[in-house]
Amino acid sequence: MTTLSRSTLFWQRQLLILLALAVFFVALVLPFCMAVLWSLVDPSTPWAYPAVLPPVLSLRRWVEIWTTSALPQAMYNSYTLAACVSILTLLLAMPTAYAFGRMEFPGKAVAQMLTLVPLILPGFVSAIFFSALLIELGLYSRFLGILIGHTVGLLPYAIRLLSVSFSMVRQDLIDAARDLGASRMVVFRTAYLPVLKPGLLAALIIVFILSIEEFAISYIVGAPDFTTVPTILYSYLGYNFIRPNAAAVSLILVVPNVLLMLIAERLLKSADPAVMTGKG
Amino acid sequence: MAQASTALSVRSASLRYGTFQALSEISFEASQGQLVTLLGPSGCGKTTLLKAIAGFIPLDGGTVEIKGQDMQDVPPEKRDTAMCFQSYALFPHLTVADNIGFGLRQRRLGAQDIATRVAAVAEQVGLSSQLGKLPGQLSGGQQQRVALARAMAVRPGVMLFDEPLSNLDAKLRDHVRMEIRALQREHGFTAVYVTHDQAEALAMSDLVIVMRAGVIEQMGRPEDIYRFPANRFVADFIGTANIMPLRILDVDRTRGEYKVSSPLGEAVVRSDTPPVSDHIYACWRPEDAQITKPTADAQNRFEVRVTTRTFLGSQCDFSVHPLGDATNRYRIQTHGFAPVSEGETIGVVIAPDAIRFLAEAVR
Amino acid sequence: MKRQRLTPYLLLLPGLFPIVAFMSLVVGMAVSQSIGYFNFAGDDRFSLEFWEGMLSQNQFWRVFWYSARIAILSSLISVMLAYPVALWLRRPFPGSDLISAMIKAPLLVHGLVAAFLFVNFISFQGFLNVALVKLGLIDRPIRMQNDSYAIGVVILQVWKNMPLAFLVITGSVRAIGDDILDAARDLGAGSLARLRRVILPLTLRALQAALILIFIGAAGDWSFQVVAGPTNIQSMAQFMHRVQSDNAAHGWNEAAVVAVMLMALSLFGSLTLAGLMQLIVRRMGR
Ligand SMILES: Nc1ncnc2c1ncn2[C@@H]1O[C@H](COP(=O)(O)OP(=O)(O)OP(=O)(O)O)[C@@H](O)[C@H]1O
Ligand SMILES: [Mg+2]
Repeated sequence: MTTLSRSTLFWQRQLLILLALAVFFVALVLPFCMAVLWSLVDPSTPWAYPAVLPPVLSLRRWVEIWTTSALPQAMYNSYTLAACVSILTLLLAMPTAYAFGRMEFPGKAVAQMLTLVPLILPGFVSAIFFSALLIELGLYSRFLGILIGHTVGLLPYAIRLLSVSFSMVRQDLIDAARDLGASRMVVFRTAYLPVLKPGLLAALIIVFILSIEEFAISYIVGAPDFTTVPTILYSYLGYNFIRPNAAAVSLILVVPNVLLMLIAERLLKSADPAVMTGKG
Repeated sequence: MAQASTALSVRSASLRYGTFQALSEISFEASQGQLVTLLGPSGCGKTTLLKAIAGFIPLDGGTVEIKGQDMQDVPPEKRDTAMCFQSYALFPHLTVADNIGFGLRQRRLGAQDIATRVAAVAEQVGLSSQLGKLPGQLSGGQQQRVALARAMAVRPGVMLFDEPLSNLDAKLRDHVRMEIRALQREHGFTAVYVTHDQAEALAMSDLVIVMRAGVIEQMGRPEDIYRFPANRFVADFIGTANIMPLRILDVDRTRGEYKVSSPLGEAVVRSDTPPVSDHIYACWRPEDAQITKPTADAQNRFEVRVTTRTFLGSQCDFSVHPLGDATNRYRIQTHGFAPVSEGETIGVVIAPDAIRFLAEAVR
Repeated sequence: MKRQRLTPYLLLLPGLFPIVAFMSLVVGMAVSQSIGYFNFAGDDRFSLEFWEGMLSQNQFWRVFWYSARIAILSSLISVMLAYPVALWLRRPFPGSDLISAMIKAPLLVHGLVAAFLFVNFISFQGFLNVALVKLGLIDRPIRMQNDSYAIGVVILQVWKNMPLAFLVITGSVRAIGDDILDAARDLGAGSLARLRRVILPLTLRALQAALILIFIGAAGDWSFQVVAGPTNIQSMAQFMHRVQSDNAAHGWNEAAVVAVMLMALSLFGSLTLAGLMQLIVRRMGR
C-alpha cells in the first residue's frame, strides 16, 4: 500500500510537471517562436490571415531595419549609456555597500530602508518630475539627464548586491593577513578580492542590463531625439504598429540581456544564494 | 495477532534514504504503560525510527502497529502518537501557551479546558511564568521544555521522546524526568525514549534497545543488558567494560565451568550459556574486580601493576596491566579508599561468574 | 575615536545621498507643482485650483479606480498563482530546478517585449485566433486586442509579476523546517489545518511583500496599458503623461496632482491590501 501511494504521488508529480511544461510552452516558447517568425517575414510577401506560416522567409527585414532605421544609433546610445551608468553606479555604491556589509552603526536599518525608496516610487512619476527638475535646473543634455536618472534608480540594486558580497568577506582572513604583516594592498588582494570579484561583476552586469531595459526615464527625458532600444521598440508598438520591426527589436532587446543575466546568475551562485533579477 | 496489552509493535521495519539503509529489520514490542529506551551512537537511526513510528517517513518494509491496528495507511495526524522533537520544532509564530495548546485545539477542546490543561502541563515542566512569550525569547532549555509540554499535553497513547532532556541542567533533568514518570503512571501512556545518557536509560526503562547503524544489537531489560551484553559493542557502549580475548582450554559441562587462557593468565569462567567458539571475547566490569593482599590465594587471582589511580571520593579508579604486558590495560574500581599507589603490584580477584562470554568470536 | 564613529556615515554619502536628494527633489517637485509653484508658464503662487479642478473631474476618478482595480487584481492573482506553486516546490525533487527556472524566465523579458509578444499572440492573425479557427471553435478570427475589460493588461501583469511573487514567497516557504510541519501533523493537524495555522502565518510577511511590490508596479503601469490596454480608458501614468503634454497652460500642475494621487494610491492601496491579508490570515489561523 505504501508503495502504491508512493507511485500515485509520483504520477501526480509527473502530471504536474507536464502541465508546467505545457504552460511554459504556451506562455513563453510559442510567443517567442512567433516573434522569430515575424522578424523573418519577407517584406515583398506579407503574412496575412489565412496563411498559418509566413509564405516567404528571409533575413531581408533584419537588413532593412539595420540600414534604414535609427536602430544602430539607438543601440549605440543604449550601450554607451549602460556602460557609463554601470561604472558610475558601482563606484558610488561601493563605499555605502562596505558600510552596510562590514560595519555596525546606529541608524543602519533606517539607512538601508532609505536606499530602497527608488524601487517603490512609480517609474513614470519619477521620470516626468525628474524631467521637470532638469528643465528647472537648465540641464539640457539628454545623455547626462538619463545618466543621472539611471544611476540613482539603479543604485539600490548595486548597494544591495555589493553589501552581501562585502559581508561575506571573512574577518579572520583579514586579521590573519594583517597579523602576518601584509600591506593594505596585499590584504585587499588576498582577503577581499576573491570574494568581491564575482559580486562586483554580477552587479556590473545586472546594472548594465537594467539600464538598457529602463524605459520611463529614457522615454520621457530622451524623446524624441535621444533614442534607446526600448524607445525604438515602443515606437514600433505605438500608433504605427510595425509588427516585423517590433519582432526584430524585441529579439535584439531580449537575447543579449538573457545571456548576460545567465552569466550574472552563475557569478552570484558561486558566491551568494540570493539572486536578484531584473524588472521591466 | 498482537496481544491485547501490546500497545506498540514494530516488525521488521526497514527504511532507506535513497541508497542509504537507515533502518534494517527492526522489531520490538512494548506493552501498555512501558517505557522503551533507544540507545546508540549518533547517526544510528534513533530519530529515524521515531519518525517512522509517528508516520512522517513511510517504511520500505515491515509494519508498525499501535493497539493492534496496522498503521500503514494511517497518516501522522490520525495516529495516536505525540513526539517531542530533538530539534524542538516549536512554532515560531505562536506563544508558549499556544504552542502547548496546539494539539488540544486540533482536538477541538473548549477554550477553558485548553487553558487549564496548558497551565497544568506548564507547571509540571516549570514554565508557568513563560506562557506569554514567543519561542525565540526563550533559552534553549526552556524551548526544550515547551517541546516536551506540547507533546505531553495531548495525552497520546504512545509518546515519542527524542532526547527530551539533553539541554537541561542536572537538577532540572532529574525533576522533569520524575514528572515524566509520574505522568506516565497517571495516564498510562507507552513511551519510546531516545537518550544518550545511559544512567537515565538504565534507571527509567522497562526495555532497552541498543542500536548501531540501523540494526538492533541487543534488546532486553536494563539489568540484563548491563550484566549480559551480547557483544563488544554493547558491552562497551553500556557502562565501562574490560574486554579481553579468551581461548577455551577445558570444559567441565556438569558445573558449567570453563578453563580459559586470557591476557591476565589462566582463569576459570562459569557460564550458563556455552561460548559460541573456542576463541572468543569476554568482558568484566571494573567493579567486579576485588583487590587482595599479594599473598592471598584464591581462584582467578591475577597479579597486575597499577599505572594510574584516580580518587573520586566514594570510589577509586585504577588503570592496571598484567605484569610484563603493558599493551593490555584494564580498569578496576573499588568502593571507598584503597591504600594502593601507582607503580605498585597488586592482586585482583574476579569471580568466575563475573567474566562473561560475549557472543562474538575472535577472528 | 570621533573620526571612527563618523566613518560609516561618510561612507554612506556617495550611495545614499544621491538617492535621498533625487527622491526628495522629484517628490518635492511634484508636490510643489501641484500647488502652483515652479511654474514654467506664468508666476509661482500658492493655489489649490489644480487640486480642485482635477478632483472634481469624473474622468480622473474613473482613471484612478481603473488603476486601483488593475493593481488589486494583478497583485492578488499573481500571489494566488505563485503561492501553491511555491508550496509544491518547497522540497526539491527531480525536475524541480527546471520548473523554478521556467517560472522565473519572464523576469528576464522586458515589459515592452512581453506586451508585444502578447499582442502578437492574440492579434487578428496571431497564433490564438488561427488555432481556434483551425480547431473549429470559431468561424473567423475575433478581435481580442485592447479589450475593453482590460483582461489583456491583467494577463500581462500576472505573466510578468507571478515570477516575482514566486521568488519572494519561495524563500519564506523553503525556510519552514520539515520538523515544524511534522510536529503540526503529529499534533493532529491535517493539510488544511497546517496551511491555516502554520504555513500561512509563517509566510505572511513574504505574502505582504509580494502584494505590495506588485500593487505598486501595476498601479503605476504605463507600457502594458499603452500597448495592450483598453482604448476607452487610461491608466494613472498614461493619464498623467497625457495631461502633462496636452494641457499647455497648466499641464505640469495638473499632472503633478495626478502624480501625488498615484503615489498616494500606491502607498495606501498597497498597505491596505497588506493589512487585509494580515487580517485574513489571522482569522484563518484562529
Ligand atoms: N532526510 C535524510 N536523508 C538522508 N539521510 C538521512 C536523512 N535523515 C537522516 N539521515 C541519515 O540517517 C542516519 C540516521 O539518522 P538519525 O537522525 O535517525 O540518527 P540518530 O540516531 O537520531 O542520531 P543522533 O543521536 O545524532 O540524533 C544518519 O546517518 C543520517 O545521516
Ligand atoms: Mg536523533
